[in-house]
Amino acid sequence: MAFRDVNARRHIGLQQLSALASTGRTFLGPVKSHKFIVDEITKQSTLICSAVRLLESLDLTSAVGQLLNESIQAQKKEFRTGMSTLLFLVGAWSSAVVECLQQNVPVPAIVSVMSEGLNSCCERVQCLQIPTHDVKKELCSSRVRPKASESKTGQAGRDALTNPWDLLCFQRDISATEEVIPINSCSHQGDDCNFNKLLVSPLAGFGSVASFVKAAGDKSSPARSGSAVTASSCITRKLTHSRHFSTLGKGPSASQQESFQGHLSGPPADVCGCCGLGHLAVALSHGNQSSVKLLQSIAAYQQERAEGSGNSQINIEEIVTCCVLGLPESYSCVSPGFVTLVSPEQASVIKHFADKPLRVVLMDGDLTEGYRHLGFNRPPNVRTILEHPSPQGWAGDAWLSRTLDILISFEVNLVLVKGNVCKVLMERCTASGILVVGCVARDVLRAFGAATGARAVTYLSQLSAASVGSGAWAELWKSRDGRAVDLGELLPARISAGGIALLTAVLTTALPCKAQLLEDQFWTLLYRLHHALKDGKVFPGGGAVELLCLSHIQALAEQPGRPGSDGAVRELASPWLAEYKPVVLQALASGWRRYLAVLLRNTARAGSELEAGASVDRHLQQAAACGSPSAYILEGFRRGGVLGSGSEPFPEQVTGLRVCDNVSAKTEAWRRALDLVLLVLQTDAEIITGPRGHQILNSPVSSEFMFL
Amino acid sequence: MSRLEAKKPPLFISEPLTRDAVSQSLSLLSGILKSSYGPAGRLKQLHNGVGGCVCTTSQSSALVGRLSLSQPVLRVLTASVQNHVSRFSDCGLFTAILCCGFIENFRSLNVAPFTVIKISKHLLSLCMDHLKSEACGCRVSVDFSSVETLVCLVRSILTSKPACMLNKTEVDHLTSLVLRAFIFTVPCHVGTNAVLGKCVVIPVKGGRVVDSAVLPGLLIEAPEVQLGKPLAVKRTGSNMIKIALFSVSMSGDGSNPEEGTIAVHHGVSLQVSELNQLLNAGRQLVKDEVGLVVCQKVMHPSLKQYLKEQGVVAVDRAGLSLMEPLGRLTGSQPIASIHSLPPGCYGSLKDLCVESFASKHFLHLIPGDTVICSLILCNRSETAWDELKRVCETAEHVLQLTVKEPLALLGGGCTETHLASYLRHKSSSLPASTLRDLGCSQTQYRLVAEGFCRALESVARALSHDGEEVLTDVVYGHCWFVPPASPCVSRWSDLVSKCGCGVSGSTEDLSWSFLQGQSGSPGLQGCPQEPPVKAADLRVLDCFAAKCSGLQVALETANLILDLSYIIEDQN
Repeated sequence: MAFRDVNARRHIGLQQLSALASTGRTFLGPVKSHKFIVDEITKQSTLICSAVRLLESLDLTSAVGQLLNESIQAQKKEFRTGMSTLLFLVGAWSSAVVECLQQNVPVPAIVSVMSEGLNSCCERVQCLQIPTHDVKKELCSSRVRPKASESKTGQAGRDALTNPWDLLCFQRDISATEEVIPINSCSHQGDDCNFNKLLVSPLAGFGSVASFVKAAGDKSSPARSGSAVTASSCITRKLTHSRHFSTLGKGPSASQQESFQGHLSGPPADVCGCCGLGHLAVALSHGNQSSVKLLQSIAAYQQERAEGSGNSQINIEEIVTCCVLGLPESYSCVSPGFVTLVSPEQASVIKHFADKPLRVVLMDGDLTEGYRHLGFNRPPNVRTILEHPSPQGWAGDAWLSRTLDILISFEVNLVLVKGNVCKVLMERCTASGILVVGCVARDVLRAFGAATGARAVTYLSQLSAASVGSGAWAELWKSRDGRAVDLGELLPARISAGGIALLTAVLTTALPCKAQLLEDQFWTLLYRLHHALKDGKVFPGGGAVELLCLSHIQALAEQPGRPGSDGAVRELASPWLAEYKPVVLQALASGWRRYLAVLLRNTARAGSELEAGASVDRHLQQAAACGSPSAYILEGFRRGGVLGSGSEPFPEQVTGLRVCDNVSAKTEAWRRALDLVLLVLQTDAEIITGPRGHQILNSPVSSEFMFL
Repeated sequence: MSRLEAKKPPLFISEPLTRDAVSQSLSLLSGILKSSYGPAGRLKQLHNGVGGCVCTTSQSSALVGRLSLSQPVLRVLTASVQNHVSRFSDCGLFTAILCCGFIENFRSLNVAPFTVIKISKHLLSLCMDHLKSEACGCRVSVDFSSVETLVCLVRSILTSKPACMLNKTEVDHLTSLVLRAFIFTVPCHVGTNAVLGKCVVIPVKGGRVVDSAVLPGLLIEAPEVQLGKPLAVKRTGSNMIKIALFSVSMSGDGSNPEEGTIAVHHGVSLQVSELNQLLNAGRQLVKDEVGLVVCQKVMHPSLKQYLKEQGVVAVDRAGLSLMEPLGRLTGSQPIASIHSLPPGCYGSLKDLCVESFASKHFLHLIPGDTVICSLILCNRSETAWDELKRVCETAEHVLQLTVKEPLALLGGGCTETHLASYLRHKSSSLPASTLRDLGCSQTQYRLVAEGFCRALESVARALSHDGEEVLTDVVYGHCWFVPPASPCVSRWSDLVSKCGCGVSGSTEDLSWSFLQGQSGSPGLQGCPQEPPVKAADLRVLDCFAAKCSGLQVALETANLILDLSYIIEDQN
């Protein structure tokens, strides 16, 4: 067994943690830089844009790396959002704690002051919470007010908030005398510069200026065919040389303008009034316009189902996604029912169905001969005696024909299978006019079960008349304008049933590498909305909460030490640790300070992190001077953005759209980040058990270890 | 072809304790254990170095069991610690550190092991007699009619392991849950032989600690159950739910892993006949008005479908750990065969409902009157959850031990320093007859007693991890901590405020002195007194039974190791 002292000089574990976490810096805030992760051996690359995907691609075999991954995955499992915040704060706090250690602050002081400080902050920021129904109202009224008077375009009244077009027009109006730069070319330029970040080695060269190999964005792709359309990957950060565009960049939505067309030409999304979720979705979208549109349709569909019972929840279980490649992203939409990709043969079966109601069978396992339910152990000691030798392959055929017979005898047209489907059976069924779809999610089966009366079975032999459902139908999926979707191999088909509680978000993209990214973005936003409704409240976004935490901690740190009555240190094991309180609180504050600075930097509201830090400090001073920091921050939020960049506290130019954040996802991310840092901080040794210990004994690093 | 190899002769190692390798390993092990001790103890990351799960812990049960030790001497030590932990759950690190201390202190004495063992046994008996006597100044009686002492006991255990990552609110919440769970396990009607019930921990990893809860009865995870739908369960005439509990697999695979081969004619399907037998059993269950069928292992989907159609709730994969509490809860006999369902094997339940915790669905089995409860335990991360589970189980176990012997020992190092000063007092005034009986000189006795006391004090010193100085006082013999590098002032009362356990304050002058032990603490100590104990002042309490056993195990193990003269290692 090998044993390594982690605390040797400076805390190795914390250093590892901060090194790992620094890789996710650019994922903070609404404007994210994409990264290419390149496998050096296979030369395969993936485009990623989230902390989770980043960690999936990193080598995390070290103990600390694994703990980090565990935390991120736990956050993802519960909230699907806040992972980047978590990753960033882990990095910021671990390096702040290392600095504390270098100043000889005892570990118990760091642990208790930091965790009590975080608790105190979480309590403090509760006053910023906005009930979700207020968000709907507030945004609804305010978005008309400041803009309608200034904007010369008529549409502002209706969908100014959801439509960045207004913002563009508005900005143009303001800067009418300045040079007019064609948005198209310029944004493409920005696109090329930023889109391609090459990560040769996952750990080397992160954060430094990444070089790019080639433009991955195909300019002739349909995605860019519209006018004034920029790719979602365009980052305005690089355009700060132009005042014109740097102001543009202040809108968190500026990066995601693809859905203009959809918005302008499509049916007017009802974002005001009856579909109150629309505003909330916009506020939570952090500028991801295309997903907002999908979400609005989902909310509209689900609300229609709930028939205005006042229950405005988003039901996640009733939503699935389907990626359709080859169409521009503006074709993304929500279809009731289940959209999936089928083969041309299956498509011809669907065409034959026409409008016929289908009898449907649901299977919750595989549809193969060898499949047995989970937990079934094949008896190893059974030998079958064949008395009359028969032609080869007879046995396999028997299962096929028996299966087919069952399906035909129950007049089944459609079989939805959770697992895999035997290829030969699939062909036979297709030939007999039965549509068999494999790899169907459990929730989809459940929805079809509820809508058609079908009961899921594991084996076809279980099938009875009662377990076959009826009233489903299938058709080939068509895009909104009826544009044919000819993708060569696979075609999207829509399978549905009367009254089915299932929606498919069809995500279209012309770039295959973006498919996963779009899906991730969609789910993130969906879960944000879900959690906002579950919490019943949201935080003002754009750094408001972090700013309040900062000012709160400053107030705490400046508080004269009154032992016993002090909230932040009441749990100190020994009162003498109180003298370290200001230092440790500053370390805690530095996490949020760096968070805000990087946020400003990433959203191009500050040219450098230094400048951003200065801007944060200025706001802090103003908040403190104002007497009530929370009132100052809420006022700032009401005016359109907390961290404005101009010399005035809140420049009258409408810089950003109202941004909101989830309450529990955010505070949980903080808590998880701090828990991880403190857990690693309190660890003084790594003990390697098992055979690896012996390998270390004979390896060059054995001097770092002690052996028992 | 078989290959024969000559047997290698066994390796004899004489006087193993004098070897460098042994003493190095011993001091390394002792260092690891000492650095983990107490609420400020440092954590250890245990992992296999190739991507296996990482266990962050400072708990003896997790730590000692996973260390793979090369020295047989150390394996003796860890084996007895593990044995102690399996019986008492608590005080594992105390035992191990004390044992290391005994070995280290006694080994360096120039006294024959035989004499050392005799004297140390006498010292141990002095300790045990003192601990068992009414006059003992380091123990408090636990009053089960009020909650204060119990809360202190549970809180001490919960806060002693920092890897649980609990804040104050969470500690309070869990303390009350653990106590409530314990109260659920105490039977309401006690006959001649009362048996305590059981608290089953239900894992909900990734949740918030404050979402943890205690429910009477049992929870079985049932992913297929849908929330929101009322559960239609068949009830018997007396409005109870009849339950059948199967310990045999009902997956229909005819699991007989015996040797031999079964020959089957083509066209005969074993699986079909197995399934028919299962369905027959199902029909029998329906006929017997069973409303709930729980299977430890897997149930065939066809059987499940049949039972569902008949209005019987069927749950499979309950797991072995739930079987015993399930049997106790419902009064049913686990059925080990699907061929015979004796009428007396069924149990009954008052109610059945669906609960959900953090996206997990459970069937909640509600009995009429029970000593079984479920503790739904949530914690944010996997590694912290594992630690928290061990801690909560320890706390439950300690409460059970305490109800048998309603005593607790002062924590925070005070018991150790108190015992040490008691022993010093006793050994200074030993009657000559005792020395004669032990067959040793006064000096030998003094030396061994000093080693014994220093080993005890080294446990108290192990509570200090950040350079705090450790003091003891002459009056009560308690343990006090002052900031590192404090000036050696005459008025310690300015620096100290409370002793480790919280019972004594610095209101009176207690003449403190350093507990660094080398030169020997003042010899002219009187017998340590019993401080007035106010329950509200108590900060840390330890389990009486576990600590007494730990003390005995530590000394006996140390004596065993000291007595080793040869190690015979089989080299084949």
